[in-house]
Amino acid sequence: MSDQGSKSVNGAGLQRLTLIRIALRLLWRDWRGGELKLLLFAMIMAVTSVSGIALFTDRLERALLQESANMLAADRVLSGRTQPPREWLQEAESRGLQTAEFVAFASMVFSDQGNMLVSAKAVSDAYPLRGELQVADRPFGPPYVSDQGGPEPGEVWVESRILPALGAEVGDSIYLGDAEFVVSRVLVQEPDRQQGGMMENAGPRLLMHLEDVPATNIIQPGSRLTYRYLFAGDQAALETFADWLQSQPENGFRLSDVRDESQEVAEALGRAESFLMLGSLFAVLLAGIAIALTARRYSERHFDYAAILKTIGCTAGQISAIYFVILAALLVLAVVLGSVLGWLVHEAILMALASVIPIQLPEASFLPYTIGAATALICLFAFALPPLLALKHISPLRVLRKDLDDSHLSTRLPYALGLAGALVLILWYSQDLLISAILVAAVAGVAVTLGLLSLLLLRSGSAVGMRAGSASMLAMSAVRRRRRQSVLQVLVFSLTIMSLLTLALLRTDLIRDWQAQLPENTPNHFMMNITESQVDGMEAFLAQRDIATNAFYPMMTAGLVSVNGEPPRNPWDDDDDEGQQNLTERSGQLNEMSPQDGQSADAQSEGEEGERERVINRQVTYTDSLPPDNQIVAGEWWSGADIAGQVSVEDDYASRLGVSLGDELVFRVGEDEVTVTVTSMRSVRWDNMQPNFFFIFSPGTLDYLGATYLSTLLLEGEEKLQLNELLRQFPTIVVLEVDALIEQIQTIIAQVSSAIELIAVLVLLSGALVLLACVNATLDERFRENAILRTLGAGRRLILNALLLEFAFIGLLAGLIATIGAELSLYYLQTQVFGQDFRLHYWVWFAGPLAGTIIIAALGVNATRRVVNTSPLAVLRQLTV
Amino acid sequence: MTAILEARHLAKQVSTSEGQLVILKDINLSIEPAETVAIVGASGSGKSTLLGLMAGLDTASSGDMLLDGDNLSAMNEDERAIIRGQSVGFVFQSFQLLPSLTALENVMLPIELKNDSDARGKAARLLQRVGLESRLHHYPNQLSGGEQQRVAIARAFASEARILFADEPTGNLDTATGAKVIDLLFSLNAEFSTTLVLVTHDDRLAARCKRVIRLVAGDITEDSRHE
Ligand SMILES: Nc1ncnc2c1ncn2[C@@H]1O[C@H](COP(=O)(O)OP(=O)(O)OP(=O)(O)O)[C@@H](O)[C@H]1O
Ligand SMILES: [Mg+2]
Repeated sequence: MSDQGSKSVNGAGLQRLTLIRIALRLLWRDWRGGELKLLLFAMIMAVTSVSGIALFTDRLERALLQESANMLAADRVLSGRTQPPREWLQEAESRGLQTAEFVAFASMVFSDQGNMLVSAKAVSDAYPLRGELQVADRPFGPPYVSDQGGPEPGEVWVESRILPALGAEVGDSIYLGDAEFVVSRVLVQEPDRQQGGMMENAGPRLLMHLEDVPATNIIQPGSRLTYRYLFAGDQAALETFADWLQSQPENGFRLSDVRDESQEVAEALGRAESFLMLGSLFAVLLAGIAIALTARRYSERHFDYAAILKTIGCTAGQISAIYFVILAALLVLAVVLGSVLGWLVHEAILMALASVIPIQLPEASFLPYTIGAATALICLFAFALPPLLALKHISPLRVLRKDLDDSHLSTRLPYALGLAGALVLILWYSQDLLISAILVAAVAGVAVTLGLLSLLLLRSGSAVGMRAGSASMLAMSAVRRRRRQSVLQVLVFSLTIMSLLTLALLRTDLIRDWQAQLPENTPNHFMMNITESQVDGMEAFLAQRDIATNAFYPMMTAGLVSVNGEPPRNPWDDDDDEGQQNLTERSGQLNEMSPQDGQSADAQSEGEEGERERVINRQVTYTDSLPPDNQIVAGEWWSGADIAGQVSVEDDYASRLGVSLGDELVFRVGEDEVTVTVTSMRSVRWDNMQPNFFFIFSPGTLDYLGATYLSTLLLEGEEKLQLNELLRQFPTIVVLEVDALIEQIQTIIAQVSSAIELIAVLVLLSGALVLLACVNATLDERFRENAILRTLGAGRRLILNALLLEFAFIGLLAGLIATIGAELSLYYLQTQVFGQDFRLHYWVWFAGPLAGTIIIAALGVNATRRVVNTSPLAVLRQLTV
Repeated sequence: MTAILEARHLAKQVSTSEGQLVILKDINLSIEPAETVAIVGASGSGKSTLLGLMAGLDTASSGDMLLDGDNLSAMNEDERAIIRGQSVGFVFQSFQLLPSLTALENVMLPIELKNDSDARGKAARLLQRVGLESRLHHYPNQLSGGEQQRVAIARAFASEARILFADEPTGNLDTATGAKVIDLLFSLNAEFSTTLVLVTHDDRLAARCKRVIRLVAGDITEDSRHE
């Protein structure tokens, strides 16, 4: 006997090849059976959707980052009021970074016929490091991309409207300080036009060479200047350089990237990233479910195979080896085909988006393919391997006793492993505990709700309106008979529908929000420093020219001195965010000609903290009507007479300050102190690029102190020429142009919206596959059952109706649970991750269950029609073989 | 001659929801090489169970089952699998062919598992021997019941087993087809001089065996030899 044992051990090496051959033959031959096709299809779908989404996201993310880097003309920008040490540029270059620099200042330009205040920007040769300069050969002429950096020494490029104001043309000479320059081109757009402080953007732009600055003699000790060093290069080098800068003792300078510079863009990018990630998470989850379902069915189909193989002498190890080889072959096939398909899908997405993403996309890295392959691998190990490896435990006795119940083999362990696998995937993907937690909670919530509902519904006695022999009775008894399976089906359907609903609703809400944020005709110019006596004249001027404008808001700096007699709390204590850098605050600084640039008013007084009490300076206004996009969230907006002495505070800022309704606040305005009561809290859209205020006072409270006014204009295309006229008539006002910025943001949002749309469709496809797999999973049993029913005399109609009802019921249940799950996860996703307001989607409560009913019924009946149309004998014969 | 199969105080019981169910009690028997044995008895008397124990598909609750001198009861499932692969062939009532493999590939399987390089040739010859040379590349569901059973018989002899077990090999076949299959089984059996143990309800089939063992409620009540 013992020699037999050792013989088989010696034969093991030789046998490996035989086993692989047998496995591959089984795999090849099994192709005729639908199970394997579905399993392979599910795996390919997993790889395709994951690698497709990852590829697309990878490239889009780089493109968006690049696009937004354009808004800085660099990847990182160091800015300061004085010139940063020049060695820092050399240090950056020695680290392989590209560098450029410029200095910006406001100055008058002269010609023989006129003069004008411009914001000059003197740039080095390498400027811009990112993005491009658009120029034209005559004012308002067709723009083209400059083939060089900025102007040559001795030349300047100016924005169109400077030329008519000076009565000059391209080729003429103009004067800046002590130097003379030739206007060689018209500047149409510079990538970082909107960045930086107000000093850089106070007037139309004049671009000159850095070398020419000394000759102008404009820069004197005490001049108000902005220095910027620009850096570009690869991420790692940028980061180590940033660390090195941190370690430098001298640090009045600020290094920032685009996310620091533009809250609006940062938010859009952040949300898009979260959405894309969520999309791929759902895709993985759905693919995982599909793989689990199909693998399970495949392995059930192979119970008999395993038993037969055992009777003819296969050991458990050999059976495991055979199925391991089958899985490995499937994996290779799925990864190869899926990666190719994923690449095609992402190319298709890009093609579909070509009109919205005109920018050249950077090549994708290899990472997305790795992610796709790794997903297939994890899915396989978590979802497919356990049921297949369980085959080795099949008793060979099965060949003698068909009734042997081996179903226990494919339960607990695979579920546990599948769950663990899903968790690993979700965490690995998102690298985000919050999103993972929300997703896991949503899945758990669906499972619990389902548990409760199935207890209630599936176990209840016969429902109302059922006659014996009726289709509804047959359907209900089928649901109950297969209770475990029915519950599993409802679970899978609910998870699928929930994923789709969540993604679809989130997509709709995000896009709606974005459109609301910057609708068409958003005013794109801020007018500031308007005196009270100018307001009427300006209104008339604008009305005459049919220029859309908004209300004129009085604006002044007010310092919060105390809250209920105590000094105010530092509102930004708990994070390093310097506070809302909204346009109003920035323009306010300009308004009062604050020397501090690019920093919030809060930071100003903090710097002097210690020597002085803390005063929190803010730009404030007063008005009797609530500004658009503001919403009262607590208290009441003032109305009627005698309303002086009240203040309305922005909600989030109030909680940072620890201010609540009814509190007494004391403000210092100029020399005076005013005491006001908080009577309302407002929510404010900070990202709408419109005048927004932390504090709004009731009329009559501050009026006597005098103020300057702020308003907005919408000027498009050549309408911008009107600015010259406006500035000529009202020379003291300051106009801040944000049209380019708004356009850039709108472009990014349009790109991101389309991307989101497509991801939603992709996930929808994986969802459809899961539904199909799930319906197919119970086909065998249905075949047998219905064949028996029909041999017992049930008519085709009755059985078809019963099937329809059964699936409709399951679909209704799944739709309902999915709706609950989707709303719950949306609540957390929108409030915690996407920074949106959550609103119930009422129509979904009808549409969700309805769609579930119709889709599942249609899919189910379509898949099982074969059941009814095949002759019972054929079915019974086939199944006993 | 030493016995090729020997059961000593073999017993099988299973626990069910209604308590212990005794299927076989104290079976003692010994079967010589090349013997042909029919196990008969009423439905539920334990025939299939006994066959399963003798073939090493299942383990006894107590007692020993010796196959060619090896004690199956003392082995684990993998060791029994190796024994099955080397010494045992099966024919079942429901054929038990792998539906996704062709007739030829089904017969090749046991030969390949023995690492025989000529699996294809041997399998083809066996199929020719059972009269299916024209059906080599057909799948089981393209074959009639009788043809499938002939494939199963070819497979059973493919491993050059010394003992052949058959559980109601004609149970799914009509009388005429059943008779042909039986003829084939016995002629191959004589050709390869294997031991044949079969379970049957068919008296004519039982009559063709040299020895008949009757089971009643898990007990051997009759063990008769005839020429
Ligand atoms: N694992 C088991 N669990 C429960 N009962 C079993 C088990 N195995 C066998 N039995 C029962 O033991 C009895 C004998 O079964 P067995 O299959 O050996 O009968 P049989 O003689 O082959 O009958 P048939 O002629 O109908 O095939 C039956 O009543 C069967 O239900
Ligand atoms: Mg039996």
